Amino acid sequence: MASSVLSSPTVYRSVRALVVALLSGALVAGFLGQIPQLDILEQSARNLYFHVPMWFALMMGTVISAYHSFRYLQSGDRLRDIRAREAAWLALLFGLLGIVTGMVWARFTWYVGSGKWWNFDPKQSMAAVLLLIYGGYFVLRDSVEDPDTRGRVAAVYNLFAVVTMPFLLYILPRQLPSLHPGGEGSPAFTQTDLAPAMRWVFYPSVLGFLGLFWVLYTQRVRLSWIRKRLRREPEL
Amino acid sequence: MDWLAGAWAVFRNDLRIELRTRYALNALLLFALGALLLILFAVGPQPIPTRVQSAFLWMVILFAAAVGLGRSFVAEERQGTALLLRLNTRPSMVFAGKLLFNLVLVGSLGGVSTGALLLLLDVSVARPGLLATALGMGVLGLAVATTLLGALVARAARRGALLPVLLLPLLTPLLVSSVSATQKAIQGLPWTEAQDELLTLVGFVGATLSAATLLFDYVWAD
Repeated sequence: MASSVLSSPTVYRSVRALVVALLSGALVAGFLGQIPQLDILEQSARNLYFHVPMWFALMMGTVISAYHSFRYLQSGDRLRDIRAREAAWLALLFGLLGIVTGMVWARFTWYVGSGKWWNFDPKQSMAAVLLLIYGGYFVLRDSVEDPDTRGRVAAVYNLFAVVTMPFLLYILPRQLPSLHPGGEGSPAFTQTDLAPAMRWVFYPSVLGFLGLFWVLYTQRVRLSWIRKRLRREPEL
Repeated sequence: MDWLAGAWAVFRNDLRIELRTRYALNALLLFALGALLLILFAVGPQPIPTRVQSAFLWMVILFAAAVGLGRSFVAEERQGTALLLRLNTRPSMVFAGKLLFNLVLVGSLGGVSTGALLLLLDVSVARPGLLATALGMGVLGLAVATTLLGALVARAARRGALLPVLLLPLLTPLLVSSVSATQKAIQGLPWTEAQDELLTLVGFVGATLSAATLLFDYVWAD
């Protein structure tokens, strides 16, 4: 059983080394490197290297969490429940980071001059609602005593929530006027948001954040698994 | 047992228990009317924009449903009748029956709240058909979500404010689209103007209904 929890140490160490290298590179290049002059964004365009990969990590968390919730309902394997929970926890963490970096970015681009930190832009509001949904997931988990029921109830809520997420993140923000890029039917960046030269930092940074997600995720799953084993067999 | 007959029996049973005391319905309607009156007192005598009117309406409906619904599963667990129901019916029958019952409750809630708001604020609705469609879709989505989440909450040991915590964020898309469609109905815009909202509502109700139907088995099974 333990072999399914532990990823091979070689794989883990190499991914960790890669993440350290990529994120160090992204940090140095992000803060000190040259960036092209883009209208409105100017120096704040550096945030692209951090804010957007955080949201990619959040997406990865929601997908992994939903997948393991689905498999938990099929198999009832407790490890699936742990995986779903840890992925949801990391989704919440990266979501919080994403919303904070987004707030700072919006403050100095969209709302510059007005001094506002938050003005209910649809993308921002819906992202906040997404975090509330994951908050609800953890409140629900804490309210159930029996581990098997807890796993099932949490998995059902998670999957039900995932069904509503496309409306929250993709359908509604496109119907409402928004300053956030990716509206008006185009999911990708336009030339005003991302200059070609920035790709050399942006893509490694995305890889780095996804790798960071993986490193944290595997470690947290291992930790939960060991804690659970220790509760059951304290002499270990 | 025939599926339809089974679902109908679950619905009839809930309805009969409810009609004995009318507890859930009375609580729901009084909560909605109380909240509505309180809001209007708080706002004071001044013209309220149509957007704010429809926002009031849906907030009241949503909060009343979050507070007042979801008791029927809790009652089954508490009275120990859930086991009997599990033995004698298939999960989908229970889901259909409870959904129908919640639909009746939320439907009356929506109807009464809308009537009260229109009367109190002296609003004339330019497109009653659009308003009825928006209300109907909103009520359906609300009933689906409360039925599934009510079953989830009934499995929890500490219930407290659990249903609102789970329900409100999930229903944000429904709220945004319903409020916007209601506003357009009050203003009397043509149907094509409310196309986005209505399609979103149809999609949302369809997606949640399908998901809830598939997922209910796992909540209900022991």
